[in-house]
Amino acid sequence: MTSTLQGITLKGSSELVADFFSFGINSILYQRGIYPPETFSRVTHYDMSLHLTTDVKLKNYMNNVVAQLKEWLMECTVQKLVLVITCLETNEVLERWQFDIQCDKSAKENCAPREKSIKAIQDEIRSVIRQITATVTFLPLLDTPCAFDLLVYIDKDNDVPEKWEESGPRIIDQSEEVRLRSFTTSIHKVNSMVAYKKND
Amino acid sequence: MDIPFDISSYLCYQEVAAETSSFKMDLDDDTAVITTLKSFNSFINRPELPQRLSESSAGSGNLQSQYKRRMELLEAAEKVQSKNRYLQLDLEKKQIEMSHKKARFELEKMASDSARDLEHQVDQNQELLGRIKRLENKETEAAKNLSEQEEANRNLRKNLEGLQKKLEERDAKLNAANQTISSLKDESRELMMKIRNQDSTISAQTLETQELQEQLDLQRRKYHEVSQLCQNLQAAESSCADHLFKIKELERRLVLQEQDIAIVKTVKSEVAKVPDLEKEVKLLRDDNAFLRESRENCSLLKEEVEGLRRKLERMEKIKEELINMELEKERVTEKLQAWENVSQSTGFNIRKPEDLSREVIQIQQKEIALKEQNYALNSRVRSMEHSQSELRLELNQQRNKTMEEQKKRETHDALVRRLQKRVLLLTKERDGMRAILESYDSELAPTEYSPQLNKRVKEAEEVLQRVQNHNVEMEVSYMHLFHRQKIEDLEAERQRLEEQNNILEMRLERHNLQGDYDPVKTRVLHFKMNPTSVAKQQRQQEVEALEEEIKHLRELVCSLQGGGAVAHSHDDSSLHSSNLSINLRKQIESSELKNQRLKEVFQKKIQEFRRVCYVLTGYQIDLTTENQYRLSSVFAEHMDDSLLFKKGSNGNMQLMETEFSKTLGEMVALHLHHQKSIPVFLSAVTLELFSRQTSA
Repeated sequence: MTSTLQGITLKGSSELVADFFSFGINSILYQRGIYPPETFSRVTHYDMSLHLTTDVKLKNYMNNVVAQLKEWLMECTVQKLVLVITCLETNEVLERWQFDIQCDKSAKENCAPREKSIKAIQDEIRSVIRQITATVTFLPLLDTPCAFDLLVYIDKDNDVPEKWEESGPRIIDQSEEVRLRSFTTSIHKVNSMVAYKKND
Repeated sequence: MDIPFDISSYLCYQEVAAETSSFKMDLDDDTAVITTLKSFNSFINRPELPQRLSESSAGSGNLQSQYKRRMELLEAAEKVQSKNRYLQLDLEKKQIEMSHKKARFELEKMASDSARDLEHQVDQNQELLGRIKRLENKETEAAKNLSEQEEANRNLRKNLEGLQKKLEERDAKLNAANQTISSLKDESRELMMKIRNQDSTISAQTLETQELQEQLDLQRRKYHEVSQLCQNLQAAESSCADHLFKIKELERRLVLQEQDIAIVKTVKSEVAKVPDLEKEVKLLRDDNAFLRESRENCSLLKEEVEGLRRKLERMEKIKEELINMELEKERVTEKLQAWENVSQSTGFNIRKPEDLSREVIQIQQKEIALKEQNYALNSRVRSMEHSQSELRLELNQQRNKTMEEQKKRETHDALVRRLQKRVLLLTKERDGMRAILESYDSELAPTEYSPQLNKRVKEAEEVLQRVQNHNVEMEVSYMHLFHRQKIEDLEAERQRLEEQNNILEMRLERHNLQGDYDPVKTRVLHFKMNPTSVAKQQRQQEVEALEEEIKHLRELVCSLQGGGAVAHSHDDSSLHSSNLSINLRKQIESSELKNQRLKEVFQKKIQEFRRVCYVLTGYQIDLTTENQYRLSSVFAEHMDDSLLFKKGSNGNMQLMETEFSKTLGEMVALHLHHQKSIPVFLSAVTLELFSRQTSA
């Protein structure tokens, strides 16, 4: 997770962002009840107590996605990461957690590390995750069986890796959107937002 | 055949004998040779001894001659040995030749034997073949004879059968004829017998009639006597009856008298008790008076007691009410405290419920206002979106206009350039002309023309300059005007475009929040084995499994309904289900049977009960419509006479008016209206009808 003590390199920034996604997605899955709470264990990270899944299949899936995501972050080709929550019965999208990623491409050319303390980045990440936990209070209840999916928006001229395929954007029909906090590692800036289906 | 063979064999034998004799001769020669050899060897050995003796004395010359002699003897021995050998070989050869000839002789013998045998066999074969042919011919003839005989046999049998049948028929006919004859004979005999019997009976009967007539006379006389006796008897009976009647009357009088005696005795005893009774009566009267007083007191006390009881009840009620009131009071105080707490918790400064209602009204008003604002905002948003789309169109139009104007400007610039070029050309021309003029001036002498020409040139130049200045001024002013208008238009456009831009940026932001993307620059990827697709597959599989189960169960149900013969598939579950279906069917049948039996039993019982009711109460009760009962009496005079009762909503039975009930008006009034008892009314009706029946 940490890169050099002095500054953040592209590689270090990619790792930080990938870690944030890993923990953030686990938190969302726990908070929204996509998987039963007993399949989660508590770990300490970013100086706070977080939930991490113990389900083997889910772990494998997350590891695969996060590893590929790190590569794309290093290449600065990834634009968004979206967590889509779908209702299994009606096949409708109920919630959409979207993380916009802006990469400073000049970091690819020169390899000088940027000046930003890891503690500051961790503080920002912590506040984002806290806000995610707080947003659950006003999100509508998910009382039908749901499944989730992770979508990645990348540049069109990138090759599609093995095991990945093209998908639709899975946009919610009639949604309410809320913009959440963002954090930046000085190389990557991540904006968070959540869109949910309006409860008529 | 035998004879030539014997001659040849004899000849062979002769040859063999000749050879054996020669062989013997050779053998003799050999023995002679062998004996000579032996003698020769013995001869050699004898002189050796003396030779040996003499050798030692003789000397070397004797040795050489001995050696030569020995050599010669050895060579002679060798020759003899070789001759011997040759003779032996000759013997052997001759022996072999003999054996050869013997073998050949034997073989020839055997060959001739076999040839002879073969000829025998062939002759025998031919004989047998001839016999076989003869036998076959005989066989065919015999078969033909057999078939002919069989046919004759069959014909004969048929004839026999025909004849037998005819015989049988004739026998039967004969038998029948015999039987008829016998039967007729029997009949005739019987008839004769009958005739005789009847004659005898007739005679007997005549005798009997005579006897009977005599008896009849006797009987008549007896009858007269008996009738007289009867009359006497009747007279005696009447007198007996009178006597009996008198006896009964006397007995009754006796009984009455006895009763009177008993009464008198009791009266006497009672009379004896009278004074006691009088005393008792007095006492009782006193008691009566006392009791009456006490009764009055009692009634007064009862009234008091009742009053007190009522008071007590009232007091108890009041107590209960008091308790309830206290509870309510506590509750109300709690509520009041809660309401007061509400004021404290919400901090709305509420002391009375009016304040609360006021606050609530205010909140509601605020809510309504907010909702209105919300709707207004929504409508504004929609209108803004509309306007934004319109503005987009306008923007496009404006862009097009600006493009056009740019093009116009470019054309104008081009024109200006062209004009400038023209001006340059003109100036050049002028210069050229000037040069020409100067050259002309230089060439020509200063004449009168040059000042005029100069003046003209100057004037032309001035005019040109003026024109140029004018041109420039015109251009400048034109450009100024043009620019001013343009600037104003562009300023206005700019503001509009800025607003549109803001709106579009907001929209873009919204779309970005929702997840929109530019398909030209971006593509959306996801992992192939993602949890959603896995969950969907599982769900699909579950749904398919459930659908299959449903189909299976539907088939089972259909089969159970239909009769179960169809659902014999080859799974264990369906076997089990077919067992289930059989069990269920059995259960259904047994339950149906039970139902049936219960129904029958119930019907029987109810019919019995109704019959018993009819017999015991005298009324047949029928249920006509809902809640209406028709009663028909057993003593009814007409079939239609019936009483109709209806069950009211409160459960009471009410009599409905019928033709029959109109005739029973008095009883209705007495028993139903006055006494208010239906059983009494019904029993009165029964008694009335019964009396009518028995009296009529």
